[in-house]
Amino acid sequence: MQNIEETPHERPKSFLRTPAFRAVIWLYLAATLAVLAVGFRQAIFLVPTEETMGNVQRVFYYHLPHAILGLIFPYLNLAGSLAFLYWRRRDPLKALSADAFAVAAAEVTVLYVAITLASGMLWAKPVWGIWWAWDARLTTELLLLLLYLSYLLLRRFSPTGQIGALGAVLSIFAAVNVPIIYMSIQWWRTQHPAPVFGPNGGGIDPSLVPAVLWNLAGWALWGFFILGFRFALERRRQLAEQEAAFHAIESSLEIPPTSWKLSQ
Amino acid sequence: MTWQSFFDLSTMGHRHIVAVYAGIWLLQGSYLAWIITQFRATKKKP
Repeated sequence: MQNIEETPHERPKSFLRTPAFRAVIWLYLAATLAVLAVGFRQAIFLVPTEETMGNVQRVFYYHLPHAILGLIFPYLNLAGSLAFLYWRRRDPLKALSADAFAVAAAEVTVLYVAITLASGMLWAKPVWGIWWAWDARLTTELLLLLLYLSYLLLRRFSPTGQIGALGAVLSIFAAVNVPIIYMSIQWWRTQHPAPVFGPNGGGIDPSLVPAVLWNLAGWALWGFFILGFRFALERRRQLAEQEAAFHAIESSLEIPPTSWKLSQ
Repeated sequence: MTWQSFFDLSTMGHRHIVAVYAGIWLLQGSYLAWIITQFRATKKKP
């Protein structure tokens, strides 16, 4: 039996460290890669070529899932930030977890929104003849990227102790931009195409739908996988910082009493 | 479309399809690799 007194800082083994949990993670990753492989095959080899744009329209099958998910992850960041603000006085340990979730969601948001913008530009050049237009949808999407980049920079350079609260307040303002992006192509009809899906959507040919759904499912599974992994990394960093702080306090208490006498 | 036509880089449209598909896999994979590296590095701390 393990002697607890000899290893006072060792935590009990949680389910997250068991082989069963690791097996579930590997299975999830394998399923995600399989769905993405099916999505790639659908998008490139199986769906018919679109009449107007030709093969370059196939960019759509990677652009759309990232655009949709890039509007979902900011709300996960918002949920984490609100939970942090709620718990920071009531339960600081839960608040730390919420903060780790918020920062993970913000980073994944930046990744998905940056990919949306880059893939949109690569699609726009052959189709519109221009890389960029200061269109309502494109501009608000760029603002979303800048807001979450500033969120991450604010966290990086804020004084210790205020990082979570400052970030959480900024994330509330950043999330306001999301419904504006969603409605922008209905409120202002300019360069970006009108909505395809939804109540006011123009719809697409049914033969193109499987490629959309497989890729949406695949990139959603992938997004939640990296979100979970990034959250685990942030929690590990927080625990390492707590451990380091604990050791610093512990070593400061080990100063021999003779030094007190000398200073007096 | 076939593998051959997928990698046919003769037109701008085709080049951009390859850039989007390869670039997205590269970016997502790089981010995952960065998380794994940081995760392992953090484990070594006291």
